[in-house]
Amino acid sequence: MNGNDCKALLKKIREIDFALQETVLYLDAYPNNRRALAYYQKMKAEREMAVAAYEASCGPLTMYGNVSATSWDWINGPWPWEAEAN
Amino acid sequence: MWTYDKKLQYPVKIKNPNPKLAQVIISQLGGPDGELAASMRYLHQRYSMPYDSVRGILTDVGTEELAHLEMVAAIIHQLTRNLSDKEIADSPFATYFVDHTTGAYPVAASGVPFDMKYVGVKGDVIADLNEDLAAEQKARVTYDNILRLTDDPDVRDPIKYLRQRELVHYQRFGDALRIAQDNLDSKNFYAYNPSFDKKR
Repeated sequence: MNGNDCKALLKKIREIDFALQETVLYLDAYPNNRRALAYYQKMKAEREMAVAAYEASCGPLTMYGNVSATSWDWINGPWPWEAEAN
Repeated sequence: MWTYDKKLQYPVKIKNPNPKLAQVIISQLGGPDGELAASMRYLHQRYSMPYDSVRGILTDVGTEELAHLEMVAAIIHQLTRNLSDKEIADSPFATYFVDHTTGAYPVAASGVPFDMKYVGVKGDVIADLNEDLAAEQKARVTYDNILRLTDDPDVRDPIKYLRQRELVHYQRFGDALRIAQDNLDSKNFYAYNPSFDKKR
């Protein structure tokens, strides 16, 4: 997978995370809203798939996501605050 | 505890360095209504918050503010890349540069370093949540003012995103205040602090 594919995957994860962030804040205030809870479950499943695809080819998203047993990829740049990562 | 996600919440990709603009935007890093103050305010109000729903809102908004702190720092970092000595000398950023070079030090645009005095933790449900509602509006005004000072679309895009999040957080803190009030005794509304007083 090349760098552009990884950027596209990261964009997808960002979009899913935005949907989840909004849903989580809403559910904190309205925990009995079943539509919001169903949407949360749907987006959570999408996130799991997208993160697995990203970490398999592009590197860890969290410190728990170093897939390789032979190289420590967690430290590989660019780091998020660098323009090249965005 | 917290776990780091190795991505910005919303992308920051700035082509043209602009140290003068960085010195203004840095107020949202370490200024009175900045993201560091926001995160510290909400996360530290949690311990005296008696309602689970509001504990959740404070935790999740306080955590999101850390992601915003990182976005603001990324904006500062990218606006101060590859500067020549002359560009720095000719900019008001020179006074910051002499103390911090191009590091991201939490400071207000006026030069006052970050201070926990910006953060209200009163240990009272009504007082703390009203503080939070005001804080979100003050941060929104700061972003409005930043948007008046730049026409660079690379900077305006993430700043507009951050401004919009203040509005969403204001809505959720409005919900939090309603939840807290629903839990209070209407006959003794301001005399009883559920964070401290025992119910008789």
